[in-house]
Parts: sequence; C-alpha cells; structure tokens
Amino acid sequence: MSLNLRYAFREGLLGLKRTRLSSILTVSTIAVTLTLFGLFMAVTYNLRRMVSHIREQILLEVFVDPTLDTPQTEQLGFRIGDVSGVAESIYVSRDEALSRFKSELGEDPMAILGENPLPASFQVRVAETHRSSEAIDGLAQALEALNGVDEVMYKGRLFELVNRYSVYVYLVDGVLFFLVLVASVFLVANTLRLTILSQKKIIQIMELVGATRGFIRRPYLILGMIQGAMGGVFAVASVMLVVALVNLQFDRLILVPWLLYAGLWALGVGLAFWGSRIGLHRHLQAP
Amino acid sequence: MISIKDAWFRVGGHTILESVSLEVKLGEFLGIVGASGAGKSTLLRLIHMEILPTRGQVIVDDLNSLTAHPNEIPQHRRKIGFIFQDFKLLEDRDVYDNVAFALWATGVKPKRIKKRVFQVLAEVGLSHKRYTMIPRLSGGEQQRVAIARALANEPFVLLADEPTGNLDPANTREIMTLLQRINRKGTAVLMATHKADLVERMASRVVEIHEGRIG
Repeated sequence: MSLNLRYAFREGLLGLKRTRLSSILTVSTIAVTLTLFGLFMAVTYNLRRMVSHIREQILLEVFVDPTLDTPQTEQLGFRIGDVSGVAESIYVSRDEALSRFKSELGEDPMAILGENPLPASFQVRVAETHRSSEAIDGLAQALEALNGVDEVMYKGRLFELVNRYSVYVYLVDGVLFFLVLVASVFLVANTLRLTILSQKKIIQIMELVGATRGFIRRPYLILGMIQGAMGGVFAVASVMLVVALVNLQFDRLILVPWLLYAGLWALGVGLAFWGSRIGLHRHLQAP
Repeated sequence: MISIKDAWFRVGGHTILESVSLEVKLGEFLGIVGASGAGKSTLLRLIHMEILPTRGQVIVDDLNSLTAHPNEIPQHRRKIGFIFQDFKLLEDRDVYDNVAFALWATGVKPKRIKKRVFQVLAEVGLSHKRYTMIPRLSGGEQQRVAIARALANEPFVLLADEPTGNLDPANTREIMTLLQRINRKGTAVLMATHKADLVERMASRVVEIHEGRIG
C-alpha cells in the first residue's frame, strides 16, 4: 500500500474517533434509512413473489369432446402442447375428475345420476409470456378452435383482477421506491455533510499547506465508506431480525434472498461514498 | 519573485482591491500597513491564490493567475508559508503533529518528516514542547508553532496576516524578532498589519494600503 493510501486509511479510521458524535449520527441515519429501505424492498420482493405465484396457479380447463376415443384424446394432448402460450398440459380422465369432485364437494354424482357426468379434460398451465388478460383470452380461443375440444373454461375474472391490481401495486411500489431512495440519499448526504463540516478547519489547513484535492478527499471518502459499511451492517441485522420475527408468527411468510441483504449493505457504502463526495465538493471549491 | 499587475478584486458589487500593482523581491521584508478592511488580507490571499483577481494578474515565481490550472495551486502553496492572527492550529493534536501535518499533507516521507519537524521546532525555540497539546501553550507559543508549520516546506516567502494581533507586547516582540531572523536567513516576509510602528523598524520596505488602493 502506498504511503498516501496508508495515510488516507489511518486518517479515515482516526476520523471516526475524532468525529465521534457526528459519526454516530451518520451511522445511525444510514442504519435507520437503510433498514426502512430494506424492509420496503423485502415487502416489495415478497409482494411480487405472491403475485407471480397467483398467476402461476391460473389454469385453463380444456374439456375434451366425449365422443373422442383414447388415441384421439392422446393426439389432442399433443396438439394442445403445440399451441403457443401453453407451458404444460396435464390430462385429467373422467374417473380422476369424478374422484376430485367427490373429495372437493363430498358428494358422489354416480349415486344420484347413476353415471359419471364429468368429461375428461386437459389442465393447461399458461406460459409466463402469456399471462396478460388479452393473451389468455387469445390462448383460450386458440384452444377452443382445436378439433376435439368441447369447451375451454378459466377463471378469467380472477386473472383480470390480479392483473389489474398488480399494475396498481407496481405503480405504488415504483413511486415509493423512488421516494425512499431520494429521501435516503438526501438524509445521508446531509448527515455526512455534518461530519465534514466538523472537519472544516482541518480541511482548510490542508489546503493552506498545499495538500492536493485528492489527498484531502481520500480520508473523508474512506471515513464515509466506513460509516456506510457500519450503517449497512446494522440495517442488514435489523431487517434480518424483523423478517425472523414475522416468520416466527406467520410461518415463513417472508422470504428475503441473500442478494438483497448484500445489495442493502453495498447501497450503504455507496450512499455514504456519494454523500461524502457531495459534502466535500462544497468545501473544496477551486479559487 | 512576486509581481502584482493592475489587480482588482470585486465581490458582490464591492471593490476590495482597486488597480493594485506591487513587486516583491527575493529575501525582502515588506510591511503592508492599513486599517481594518483596507484590503491587506485580500492582497495576501491573492498571492496565496486562495482567490484570483477579477482583473489584472498576480505572478508568483513562475505561476501566473491568468493561466494557472487548479491542479497547479497546491504545488504553488507549498512554496509559500502563511500565518494568521488566529494561528489556525489543530487543537486536538500536539505541537509535533501540527507541524508534521503540513509535511504529511504534502506527501513527504516519514523519515524526512521527523527530521524536518525537529529542525523547524528548534528554529522557533519549541523543541522542548514538541509533545505539548496546543491549548496548553501561550498565544506567543501557538504563533511560533504556526510559524514552524509555515516553514516546514521551506517556503521562499512567508505571508503573515496580523501575526501579532492576538498577542501581548512581550510576545509581539518575540514574534517580530523571530520573523526578522527568518528573513535574514533568506526567506522573504510579507507582513500585513494595522500597526505601522511594528514594521517600520524591521521591514526593508513599507507600503500603505487604503480603501483597496496602494498609496
């Protein structure tokens, strides 16, 4: 490590001690802001996961013409699989449909009607690329047009609702994300400016004796990054704790990937670095 | 060495310096005398290139204010020592660290720093107080630390802005004698003060500044 860099690290670390009060304030601000941001990200991530899960659950039921024999039904299965937008199709025989009916409703139609009234069907899972209302309607029409298909049924209303509300959720989500990010940058930059302000005299003296801008800036950028890293660690720990407490109450309701935690920590370091740069810029004006 | 040609400095519609021209020779002791607000400090700040003239030019050594790049200014300041009425010392550090700071900040190697700090502290008569914290020193001693720091990078000129403004007569005499000794060793001294009698006895030349103009 070069002498200048060693000096910058040493001064950066000593700066933490010298600016104890403003450092505590900065680290706390970063920690609180990032915790809120992290919780928001965790909620957003899980909301998106739930919407995606609901969408995945939406199935199209393609009822088979009762006059088709087994080879024709198999052929129909292949043709369904070839339709664009079909991710997967599962054959449900008449007997299987009957047993599902019995287990779901608790009644046996055979006992009442004397025969199985339920047709065989294919349960079609929709590909991710076709999960909009328009695309799913088009897919249903395409399936209905196939020879051997009696009827196609799906919960179009539910699909429409999920789609419509997920647009609102994403819109609110986007606005909140932007607001929280701007507020975080503003808060962190201002608190870091306090740290730099408390060091105004030392910066003036460095300029007085002819230190270069890079030399003056480096310890403060390092100090800012240390503060950001510390704030980031507290934020990650706080989000982890909240997630653990929620999951303890609601059995694994929230899932947070490690990448989000790593991103949150890196965001702390980045925000602090950027905040320090802004703060320093004001005190290092060219003549 | 220092050449100021028709320099003006205006800020917010006020003229602080008006058509100032001045030449300072190597090794000269120049007294700049004037009342508070006359423009003495501004003149010194122009030479230090903390500010640049709004008109005219300042040439120090081979650096011209008209063509100076911001990256050249730190190097320029290393050749100039600057002391102030309020000393501008780091009060949470001791004497040694305050002087060494000027050398650290300019990238001098640690071995050389130690040697040079001891040299300048001996020069200002503070070797015995090298590990004393700044608040425990008298005003005169604090100004001597500031002088030691200003001399650390071996400047060819020392700018002194009211260096005795906060000192009692005994300490004032002490600082003036020290400045004279530094000048005799070859460093030019430019001292701004409102007390004409202070510099008249010691300076090789005295200029008077009045409402931003040199008389």
